Amino acid sequence: MSRKRIGYFENRDDPESICSRCRMCELICAFHHHQVGNPRRGRIKVIGLGKGEDIPVTCMNCEDPPCVNVCPTGALHRAEADGMVMVKGDLCIGCAMCVNVCPVGAVTLDPVLGMASKCDLCQGDPQCVLYCPAKVLKLTDAGQLARHRMREFAKFLRTADERS
Amino acid sequence: MSPFGGGYAGKLLYVNLTEGSVEKRSLDRNLALNYIGGRGFSSRILFDELKPGTDPLSPENRLILATGPLNGTPTPSASRLVVAAKSPLTGALGDASSGGYFAPELKYAGFDAVVFQGRSSHPVYLWVEDGKAELRPAKRLWGQKIHETSELLKEEIGDDDIHICAIGPGGENLVRYACIVTDEEGAAGRCGIGAVMGSKNLKAVAVRGSGDVGIADPKRFKEAIDAYRQTLEGEVWTEVLRRLGTPNLVAHRQKLGIWGAKNFQRATLDGWEKISGEAFREKFLQKVLGCMGCMVRCRRYSAIKEGPLAPTYAKGPEYDTINSLGAKTYITDPAVILRAHHLCDEYGIDEQTAGSSIAMAMELYERGILKKDQVDGVELVFGNGEALLHFIEKIAFRKGFGDLLAEGTKILGERLNASYYAIHVKGLEVDASDPRSLPTRALTYSVATRGSCHLRGFPYIDEFIKPEEAKAFFGTERVSDLQALEGKGKMVAWSENWITVGNLMGLCIFAWYRSRSFPMLIKRGLDLVNEVYVATTGLPMTSEGLFRCGERVYNVEKLFNLREGFGRESDYPPQRFFEEAMPDGPGKGSKLNRDDYDRLLDEYYEARGWDKVSGHPTPRKLRQLGLDGA
Repeated sequence: MSRKRIGYFENRDDPESICSRCRMCELICAFHHHQVGNPRRGRIKVIGLGKGEDIPVTCMNCEDPPCVNVCPTGALHRAEADGMVMVKGDLCIGCAMCVNVCPVGAVTLDPVLGMASKCDLCQGDPQCVLYCPAKVLKLTDAGQLARHRMREFAKFLRTADERS
Repeated sequence: MSPFGGGYAGKLLYVNLTEGSVEKRSLDRNLALNYIGGRGFSSRILFDELKPGTDPLSPENRLILATGPLNGTPTPSASRLVVAAKSPLTGALGDASSGGYFAPELKYAGFDAVVFQGRSSHPVYLWVEDGKAELRPAKRLWGQKIHETSELLKEEIGDDDIHICAIGPGGENLVRYACIVTDEEGAAGRCGIGAVMGSKNLKAVAVRGSGDVGIADPKRFKEAIDAYRQTLEGEVWTEVLRRLGTPNLVAHRQKLGIWGAKNFQRATLDGWEKISGEAFREKFLQKVLGCMGCMVRCRRYSAIKEGPLAPTYAKGPEYDTINSLGAKTYITDPAVILRAHHLCDEYGIDEQTAGSSIAMAMELYERGILKKDQVDGVELVFGNGEALLHFIEKIAFRKGFGDLLAEGTKILGERLNASYYAIHVKGLEVDASDPRSLPTRALTYSVATRGSCHLRGFPYIDEFIKPEEAKAFFGTERVSDLQALEGKGKMVAWSENWITVGNLMGLCIFAWYRSRSFPMLIKRGLDLVNEVYVATTGLPMTSEGLFRCGERVYNVEKLFNLREGFGRESDYPPQRFFEEAMPDGPGKGSKLNRDDYDRLLDEYYEARGWDKVSGHPTPRKLRQLGLDGA
């Protein structure tokens, strides 16, 4: 099973391969879904932490998604076992309970429509990944993330002697 | 709902600080079609609303924040905010611009521009949120530096997802070249617009917007921005900017020998390698930054993590930082330059005029015109980094000798009877480079409508245009010869109109108007921009029409300046460039020749359709531009 999501992969050794806060992901996401300019309607958001730290945040596509569990109307759902959590617009009542329980804040109420809004992976071709100039956003899954972490750890192990 | 198909918010916000009132006005369709936005809006409004002779620091002056129609859309690099007023530094039309995120946010909040007039009786800030605006007391903010102001505002409003433009102590204390800083990083630096803001008792503008910026034809829009992305592929300039930022130019300046080092007493710089783009990248760069939607990402985020100036976290530096705070003062310690840059941003003063003023004072001190007791006992010699850091703070608070430095080089020269050493045009200091060996730059810097400026035109076309292109477009192959005078007036006039279009749109001219291929300048800077504009707004427009808008705005600015008494004589480079030859480097021996410059200026006026004696646009030109009544 491979549940896809957008992952952030920076390279601290390369100043060009870190989120550079251009917010193109927010812009292109809102444009793709609503044909307007309005980053607050984007389903990904660059969070600035100060001192040059900026991290893009979006839906993690949880195994046991609290937003789906809490939704009183069934608007938030996962149609296929390994698919993305989606919103049925006609069922959503805008109660924001999903917003309340999402561990990462990735579900929002669309500021214009007032309904739940979240990443839908653009039907498999995420625009944020396509347009990110730093190329730090990737379509990924938990398995790939783990593999990435392992690779980092392996590098760490390989140089353990030098450090000790 | 905006009456425009897209792009424009359709509303202007008028704020009367004397009365404490705010008023929404509809954006006039003709203003949009003829002036587009940004500098077009600000220049026309200043021309219409200011009486000639208005004291720049009086309540009668206007302070304008203007966006362009592309700000807020996913158009790459549509990030620029224009701030404008009659300049307290020059007395001429003044404007400056800043990238970042503020301009798009103002659009999401429902406004194309904000026009301030009057003066508040007490410090205030303006809070703008989704179509509403109110003035709020800013007593707690007054006296704070830029970062503290921003933190306090976010705390008071209870939201960190807002965007802010603010002045620091420099603006409050009416430093004639105080800047306005957006989101703690983007200084709209030149011409002292921050002092105008301070004179109005306006500390900051904070904005939050969640409304749409419409796009009239989304499919056409997407094709146009994708075409833009393609033009960046393989553009060497883009890669260089990403890797080194504007400091990549340090090596170029050294190679051509066109530094204005030691207040234009030297054309090359010993130890330039220590402050090159490569050096700053290696020593301080944390990561590259992109303004809203930018794919070039020339902004730097730097940190000094060790040594006496640690810790310093700063956006930048830019090439002009290094030039003004480094080369001009002959300081080649990169940490000092970065720290000085950070202080200028935190105190809210324009680093270019600050560096130029300090450099001029250094020369006067070395020449014995200024004595030690006049400069607070500081050893004010070239290369003294401590003196630089010392006086930046003194300038912001107008303390000691800083009070005089806070006036800029023109007044400094007048007060000390040393105007020869004030290197400015119309009161704005010469930035970027020494133009003595390059006639096109000399002309561009001198005719610019905001005073000396290297961004008002594009004086590099002669570096790369092919002879056959030059012949076809400007009527003479000589335009492709760096030293030749023929055709250069025409070329400069063309480049001014052309680059103004970017300023009207809210586009970054670095991302959209830079290339070393002449056909690309037209393809990207006019045809593609027009395509994006039409797709966004649904308005009828052509590349030629846009170019004409650029020309119209330039002429309105000229009319504004003529009304304030800036005639032909104000379009000349500083005297030093005619009197003294460059002392070293590849251009050694070069100086400007008055007859040659007169010829250049004549040709420029002719190309512009301006009277050669008075500089006034001819009636025919005014009719052509629809400015008959102006």
